[in-house]
Amino acid sequence: MSDFWDRYGRSVSPCHRLPPLLKIGLALAVIIAGVTIPFENWPAFGVLGCVVFTGHSIAGIPLRYLLKRLSIFLPFIGAMAISLPLSQGFSHGWELMLTIVCRGTIAFLTSLWLINVMPFAQLLVTLRRLRVPAVFVAILAFMYRYVFVVWDELDRLRTARKARSMGRTSLLFRWKSLAAMLGTLLIRSLTRAERIHGAMLSRGWTGEVHWLDDE
Amino acid sequence: MHIPDGFLSNEVCLMTAAAAVGAVGYSLHRIKGELADRTIPLTGMMGSLIFAGQMINFPIGLPVSGHLMGGVLAGVILGPWAGCVALTMVLVAQWALFSDGGLTALGANILHMAVLGSIGGYAVIAAIRRRFKCRIRGTVIGSVIAAWLSVMAAAALFCVEFRLSHAPGEFRFRNIFTLMVSFHALIGIGEALITAVVVNVVLHHRSDLIFGLRTEASQSRPLPQFIGAGLIVALAVAAFASPFASEFSDGLEAVAERESVAATDDGLPGVFADYDAIPLGDWQSLSVSAAGVVGVLSIFALSLLMTRGLSRQPATQLAGAAPRE
Repeated sequence: MSDFWDRYGRSVSPCHRLPPLLKIGLALAVIIAGVTIPFENWPAFGVLGCVVFTGHSIAGIPLRYLLKRLSIFLPFIGAMAISLPLSQGFSHGWELMLTIVCRGTIAFLTSLWLINVMPFAQLLVTLRRLRVPAVFVAILAFMYRYVFVVWDELDRLRTARKARSMGRTSLLFRWKSLAAMLGTLLIRSLTRAERIHGAMLSRGWTGEVHWLDDE
Repeated sequence: MHIPDGFLSNEVCLMTAAAAVGAVGYSLHRIKGELADRTIPLTGMMGSLIFAGQMINFPIGLPVSGHLMGGVLAGVILGPWAGCVALTMVLVAQWALFSDGGLTALGANILHMAVLGSIGGYAVIAAIRRRFKCRIRGTVIGSVIAAWLSVMAAAALFCVEFRLSHAPGEFRFRNIFTLMVSFHALIGIGEALITAVVVNVVLHHRSDLIFGLRTEASQSRPLPQFIGAGLIVALAVAAFASPFASEFSDGLEAVAERESVAATDDGLPGVFADYDAIPLGDWQSLSVSAAGVVGVLSIFALSLLMTRGLSRQPATQLAGAAPRE
């Protein structure tokens, strides 16, 4: 599953070799430019789009991946934006809707570029260098470490549920079993957290976070 | 529910980001004292759990499906401050792994889901729990109501931010408000349902995991609770009251609108010209009130249903279950 999430983070390209702070700065600049462009200057959206696509192609991110992500994102932002003209009785609001969809799409593609040229571990180190509190970064790192474990646990629960309830079931039953599954997952995860905490204590954990590059 | 980039203006993004940094910073400060050396494993694990839990799709019947948001759930299990931090981690990770929710809107998203959901939601739960003799029943009823209110409050806050982001007079704000609030009254029922069932499961098996039931002493002070509860209730009340209030006070805006509509749509078919003449106001107030009434009634029924299962066992037995540390 980790391969699905940051599949292109580990590949090599000129974009991947940029210093991490420069990557974040570039992406932030494009996003802020994207969300500030007024509707009258709509050709600028096209220019920014070309810049973002060039970035993606230099980073070696395939078009198929982008289209797949866009096919999830576009209906979502479209549904959110259509509520504007809908609430005005379809008389006006189309212009604002188009602006929002263009801005959102450009920012989405830019974020996608950033997360695909910067692995999560690099993001953590960069956050630390930006003086984000050590506890915050440590919790984020812990979460990234265990999200895969929790996901596997969820997969096991799903398999067990599928094995028990053969074929179609009623909507009510599915809700009940899904929520019960979530409850079981919660109890198991928190019990695991207690075990991990015990293991950390037995290895001399005092609650202080130390980073290698702090000293 | 994750706001993408482009909906809110840069000024609003900065404001919400500042508010979010303040709230999360204060939460981090509080949990260092509360959880001490358990902060990182507990909060981190809760973050991964909500992250995975948001990927469970609950079928609605149509091809549409919904998922948990989890702010109130994190709040009821870990307490307001750790819950807020856990939800913040989820939102940061969702942006950094999926590009889900905008980078500039991250502050607003944290404010809606982590701060309103966990801190505001816990304030509601604590306020309701104090009214009940049986703390377990109070917890379930409280989390049902808090989950629904937190969704409504988030929708209302989004409307306010959206209004601040765009030039006044450009829109009939009331209409957007109506649409968002009635829509989220229904979404909130789903959130309340999932939260209630999960809390119920945890109460049956490991009631010591619930924050307020673990130790009496670890409850937060009454004053911040009161402020949080007041805020969330005020937002929800505002959501219902505003369509009625604006009926009367929006005279100026209505005149300006009629002028502008008359000025712009001479080329449009007659349907649109007549549109303003239809007394839409009545219909809108009605739909908000209907959504509100349906919401309140179903939440009430839900909390009654949830506690019926619990009352079959003596509550003391559950509360007295030996806490495993």
